[in-house]
Amino acid sequence: MHEYAVVSELINALLPQAETIEGRIVGVILKKGELRILSDQALANAFELLAEGTPFEGARLIVELVSVSVSCSSCGYEGAVDHVSDEVFHFAVPILSCPKCQSKVDVQAGRELFVDRLSVQTPAETDSR
Amino acid sequence: MHNVQVNGEDILKRQLELAEANRRLLEEKRVVAVSVMGAIGSGKTSLIERMIDRLAGQGLHVGTIAADSAGDDDHQRFLSHGADSINLNTQDDCHLDAHTVDHAMEHLPMDKLDILFIENVGNLICPADFPLGTANEMVVISTTEGDDMVRKHPKIFAQTDILVLNKIDLADAVGMDPQRVVSDYSRINPHGKAVLTDARHEKGIDDLLEALGFECTNTQ
Ligand SMILES: Nc1nc2c(ncn2[C@@H]2O[C@H](COP(=O)(O)OP(=O)(O)O)[C@@H](O)[C@H]2O)c(=O)[nH]1
Ligand SMILES: [Mg+2]
Ligand SMILES: [Zn+2]
Repeated sequence: MHEYAVVSELINALLPQAETIEGRIVGVILKKGELRILSDQALANAFELLAEGTPFEGARLIVELVSVSVSCSSCGYEGAVDHVSDEVFHFAVPILSCPKCQSKVDVQAGRELFVDRLSVQTPAETDSR
Repeated sequence: MHNVQVNGEDILKRQLELAEANRRLLEEKRVVAVSVMGAIGSGKTSLIERMIDRLAGQGLHVGTIAADSAGDDDHQRFLSHGADSINLNTQDDCHLDAHTVDHAMEHLPMDKLDILFIENVGNLICPADFPLGTANEMVVISTTEGDDMVRKHPKIFAQTDILVLNKIDLADAVGMDPQRVVSDYSRINPHGKAVLTDARHEKGIDDLLEALGFECTNTQ
């Protein structure tokens, strides 16, 4: 499983910015492309462990899915794809094929993996509750 | 609570850039590379051995990169078939990455090679997240893994253009239905090619070479 390596890279990249933040980091929002195989649960587990002793300790890793989007060089279509959501596949599977003309497509989105934002709580925000 | 925007550089961006660099090098050297993925024991090495024999028989120069957690068994098998081979010990890594492949290529006679097979670490799942920059990718599964492999890992198969179902000779014995795998696959990957092989008895090797786009004289 490479989730630990990925999370450790993620934390290291964020550290300089995290150290300048006033308040407590309570959430790290990760955008994950629908085509990525990495497991959300394994990412969250790795994060919990690797965050210890960093400004991220106690924060939650929240994964937000980025849908697949494609472009078709045959008919010019750009946008989302169809999914097979038959129960035998347990979850909806994106089909990498043009929904308009059934040609092969180029994937424009759906493979990303980046931190989008941090959720931060300052002492003032805590008091005003 | 409030949100703080982050300079959201993709964590795997460097991987993609390195894969792109490999792709350019391979194109420049006119080497067609194939990344071979699949669980331990599915038959990756056996299939590559068979393909090396066919391709070498047509005068093509084949190279291999063998990734094994330890030892050099696969590497030795490739050498014995006349391939130019590099052995990589990946130890605890669950997948090869583009950077490792780049280094391995430095030790191969790229100017001479026509075809390069890269046998990934024996792991069905992880390599799917790490493109190496090869023109082709294939996932090998075997009949002994059951007929629900595509159903269990649909996202992998939805984005892999060649599926090899190996050990067809054992399908009846283990009571699995190859057609179920083929039809599941064609539903989630309408442009994918499914190939049935029996590396042990050299069945389906020409079909596989054809799916990979290699010319082959039909000898089966
Ligand atoms: N019966 C049968 N055995 C096979 C076939 N392909 C490979 N094997 C055997 O399966 C075992 C694992 O094969 P190998 O090529 O080393 O798999 P790898 O770990 O994916 O590289 C070996 O004992 C092979 O002889 C096949 O098509 N049919
Ligand atoms: Mg092997
Ligand atoms: Zn189209």
